[in-house]
Amino acid sequence: MAAMVVKTPSTIDELLACMKDADENTYYISGGTDFMIKLRKNRIYSGTIIDLKGIPALRYIKKENGIIRIGGNTTFTEIVGNKIMQKHAACVVQAASQIGSTQIRNAATIGGNVANAFAGADSIPALMVLDAKVVVLKSDGESYEKDMDGIVLGAGQNSLGHDEVIVEIQIPVLDEGYRTAFAKIGSRSRVTIAKLNMAAVVKCRGDGSTIEEARIVLGALGPKAFRSGKAEEVLVGRTISKDLCMAFQNALTAQVDESIASRSSWAYKREAVKGLADEVFDKLFQDVLTGGRA
Amino acid sequence: MELDMIVNEVEYHLDIDPRLRLLDVLRDYLKLTGTKEGCGEGECGACTVIMDDLAVNSCLVLAHQARGKRIITIEALEKDGELDSLQKAFIDHGAVQCGYCTPGMLMSCKALLIKNPNPTEEEIRIAIEGNLCRCTGYTKIIRAVQEAAAQK
Repeated sequence: MAAMVVKTPSTIDELLACMKDADENTYYISGGTDFMIKLRKNRIYSGTIIDLKGIPALRYIKKENGIIRIGGNTTFTEIVGNKIMQKHAACVVQAASQIGSTQIRNAATIGGNVANAFAGADSIPALMVLDAKVVVLKSDGESYEKDMDGIVLGAGQNSLGHDEVIVEIQIPVLDEGYRTAFAKIGSRSRVTIAKLNMAAVVKCRGDGSTIEEARIVLGALGPKAFRSGKAEEVLVGRTISKDLCMAFQNALTAQVDESIASRSSWAYKREAVKGLADEVFDKLFQDVLTGGRA
Repeated sequence: MELDMIVNEVEYHLDIDPRLRLLDVLRDYLKLTGTKEGCGEGECGACTVIMDDLAVNSCLVLAHQARGKRIITIEALEKDGELDSLQKAFIDHGAVQCGYCTPGMLMSCKALLIKNPNPTEEEIRIAIEGNLCRCTGYTKIIRAVQEAAAQK
């Protein structure tokens, strides 16, 4: 059996050269926080590890022509502390700030989290709800864009070929009037893997009282995150109120019933989702509910 | 496979198995056994070291990812026989019992103070959220960090 090899490109050109020989035993790593556990647990002793993290050109956050571009190597610590993200992608910042611990966020990257395609990943619903696009680089130097739903196939599966790497995440900047939020529930309040998570984008009418548009994405409810039409329907055209929050909770319980009724976690999640709904609703509309915009 | 890195201000040129973690290299090759292995999956923080001024779990860093990086381990906190003010504060506040979490805890706190010399209690809690202590509890540790910060 061939021994393990680690390739350490520091530029895109060097990366392309490494990708040319890629096969089913090639492992691309960025932060490595998920991979290092798999390497040991799955007893991987041969193959090629290509370390993307040593490529500084894949580490950036910039806003250009109404799009936020995030390099695949950008860490969650960098996302949490970034002013562009705080201003235009609050739900991604909220998700990033709740991923793992400080040590994990210092290492783990957004490209890695998407590629890992874990069902309970926190960045995935937050990016999906913002209609983020993923830019994939191929070994021939060409690249293509795909939406999150096309990349994340579910339960640890992504659509990427052996010679394809996520290099950038693109988030369209929302107009004024949109609000976003993310929340999660795990077995404890911090440093926890989501049992359920949710990201929301809503657009309110000018005076902030009525919801004109809503996108709700649920994660950790089945193999991959998805939009909940049931939860969106109940919000659109309605006035923001405590009653609406209850209707939102009930719609989400109905969504859990539809999605995972045969699972052992069903009884828990159909109740727990109400607490999650309450938190998301509060984050979205706290200022409206308490009177006066913040 | 060859690996160059700087640990506690010393440059090392190593030839190691590519599968090794930074933790394995620190402990088994450099004999810096102050860094502990707890869970081995990024849950407990006992293996925390500082890499380019940021706290990381050395059990989740492929050793080759540390190439060219500056690593600081618990062994470097003491200077010329004198403990770091953070270490002294841990002792003064009884923030150490069995001691197994202590090196990781200290490195997380040290990384925090490098970046933020005057952290709030909330910021201290977030800095050590990835470090489990099963005997002292966290309050004494937080008090110790607050005192070390106040001294500067």
